[in-house]
Amino acid sequence: MLLDSLFSRRLVILSGKGGVGKSTVGAALCLAARHRGRRVLLVEVAAPLEAARLLRGTPSRGRETEVLPGFWSVNLDPKAAMDEYVRHVVKVEMLARRILDSPIYHRFLTAAPGLKELMVLGKIMMLEDARARFSHKPVWDLIVVDAPATGHGLVFLKVPLAASSAVPIGPVGANARRILDLIRDPGRTALVVVSIPEEMAVVEALQFRELAQEELQIEPAAFVLNACHERRFSDAEEAQVLGLTASGENGEILPGVPLQAALRAARRQIRRRKLTRFYQQRLRRTLDLPLVSLPFLVRERFDLDALRALAERLEAA
Amino acid sequence: MAPRQDPRAVLDRALSTRRVLVVAGSGGVGKTTTAAALAVRAARAGRRVLVCTIDPSRRLATSLGLHSLSGRPRPIELRKLSPPPVDRGALSAMVLDVKSTFDDLVTRHTPDQAARDRILENRYYRHVSAALAGSHEYMAMEKLLELSAGERYDLVVLDTPPTRHALDFLEAPDRLMAFLDASILRWFLKPYFAAGGLTLKVATRTGAIALRLADRFLGLQFLADLSEFFLAFEGMYAGFKDRAARVYALLRDPSSSFVLVTGPQPLALEEGLYFHRRLREKGMPFLAFVVNRVHLDPARELRGSRSGRVRLDPELAARLAETLREQQVLAAVERRAIARLEVDSRERPVLVPELEQDVHDLRGLVEFGDLIFEGRPAAAGRRPRAVAS
Repeated sequence: MLLDSLFSRRLVILSGKGGVGKSTVGAALCLAARHRGRRVLLVEVAAPLEAARLLRGTPSRGRETEVLPGFWSVNLDPKAAMDEYVRHVVKVEMLARRILDSPIYHRFLTAAPGLKELMVLGKIMMLEDARARFSHKPVWDLIVVDAPATGHGLVFLKVPLAASSAVPIGPVGANARRILDLIRDPGRTALVVVSIPEEMAVVEALQFRELAQEELQIEPAAFVLNACHERRFSDAEEAQVLGLTASGENGEILPGVPLQAALRAARRQIRRRKLTRFYQQRLRRTLDLPLVSLPFLVRERFDLDALRALAERLEAA
Repeated sequence: MAPRQDPRAVLDRALSTRRVLVVAGSGGVGKTTTAAALAVRAARAGRRVLVCTIDPSRRLATSLGLHSLSGRPRPIELRKLSPPPVDRGALSAMVLDVKSTFDDLVTRHTPDQAARDRILENRYYRHVSAALAGSHEYMAMEKLLELSAGERYDLVVLDTPPTRHALDFLEAPDRLMAFLDASILRWFLKPYFAAGGLTLKVATRTGAIALRLADRFLGLQFLADLSEFFLAFEGMYAGFKDRAARVYALLRDPSSSFVLVTGPQPLALEEGLYFHRRLREKGMPFLAFVVNRVHLDPARELRGSRSGRVRLDPELAARLAETLREQQVLAAVERRAIARLEVDSRERPVLVPELEQDVHDLRGLVEFGDLIFEGRPAAAGRRPRAVAS
């Protein structure tokens, strides 16, 4: 259901503050898309540790790389995207080289505000636009973008808006407007807000949604609540846990498993589960958007199996 | 190599001696709460403290007992706490207003009204100064310089903007200087636009080619705006550069220090370690790591005697055992990552166990501070009430 709606577009942008597991959700979405036979590209932006590393172990180095059959990934480097743009505009290699080698260009690139974001979004637009040479079918069935996490999650998406008003005429402005058209078009782009069941993260996600509506006129397609603690004990069992705690009794419930330690773990799990439910309810009350909860998974190493489990949950949502 | 002093003592001493505390780290690790808790603690110990946050959400304001914070410092009522602050101890709080800080900076460095208006009304400036990636960092530092210069506060605690790369914060003055030092860019633009018109007449052939390319690449209007912007800033370069240099000097000063806040997950700690290394390279005074939300292993917390076997429904017993196992795995993964951080950084981090409840008032901040310094809430009777236990 959710995936039908998301995958009816070809660009999915994930937004959310740092530490909410955006890249994990992105990778899981890609797995789910791949499972449906889509050729999918996961785009990260200057990610220090790529999500693709969870699956493969080698970084993409700025090139689209096939992680699993049908599942590609790229870690975009803003500088490389800028260089590519220069080459695209200045078609003569010798002249392009001249620009790329000049100190002016480098200073400009590091200094000019918003330029990097604009180039990255421009690159994403080009990826969305890319067509196969003969069939003219899109190269990518789906592109999932793990947008850079900033305190003000909107900064990245607002750059084309700022650029199109700061530079109304000329190629920069024109491109900024094309990018804006793309991310504002609900038929082509889905904005997904990722959060976790914690106060700050939820408040910020709600604020993000409000600002996206007000300042960009974009309505997110869905909310994903990641790392949810799910119900594991029935009400009666929860009462039993409290009762046994109070009794102070301490033996083993299974070989090597002390009762009181297990009860303490259970109480923590119950507390987190209640907090999860609290935030789920709060989001459901405030939002009229699809809300998907993904489970908190404990793993020695977060690997393909864990991602598969999340992908299945997305499929079932 | 054995890590040195007790990091809690180091941190506590800094609260009573240092003048600037920069609280850095990536987002979502409890940075704002940590900054506020440290500020409350220092104020209660008798210092006049200002905490400057960049967190625009109202949560910090609420936890400090206010409805909202503004760009001006507002006093926070601490006398209701028991015990109340000693001596002149007081706390003020503010939230960074990026745009107005930038405007102030411009105002301070422009020679006259006309020059000031030229910048403040420049299209590029108007759009860019607020939306600019990195401007939050520049302005946080600018504010820090301004606040720490006066005599009003003994200690300024700065909660830095959350970034994916916490390092962006440190790079900000460098970037600012590079921006202002774009003498080549100015040299390149000035002759064409100084006259005010968009002419393509240039002196040299190389210049002509470069300009044609730039036009194709960026558009002439953009160059004109940019050029106007640079020209308007002309008289201020020296002042700005001086300012940025002073920011660096302040951050390197022994009366300043950096607290790195991170989460206990391996990736978060890796990032913290990287930041620590860069601080060293830049000669900036590192104070302590604060690792928030550490998950504890229930079996290690409770090492009581066990006797015999307790009969439970086997299915329930299995789920209980699985729940315990999960938390043990989580705690072990974190423990290993923290141990690695200790070895690689040669620092002992301050470990703060996961809170049972979100911090949402002053009392909560005090308790969080106790948790940082004692590893548990200090007063037994004031333990945060758990939802379930």
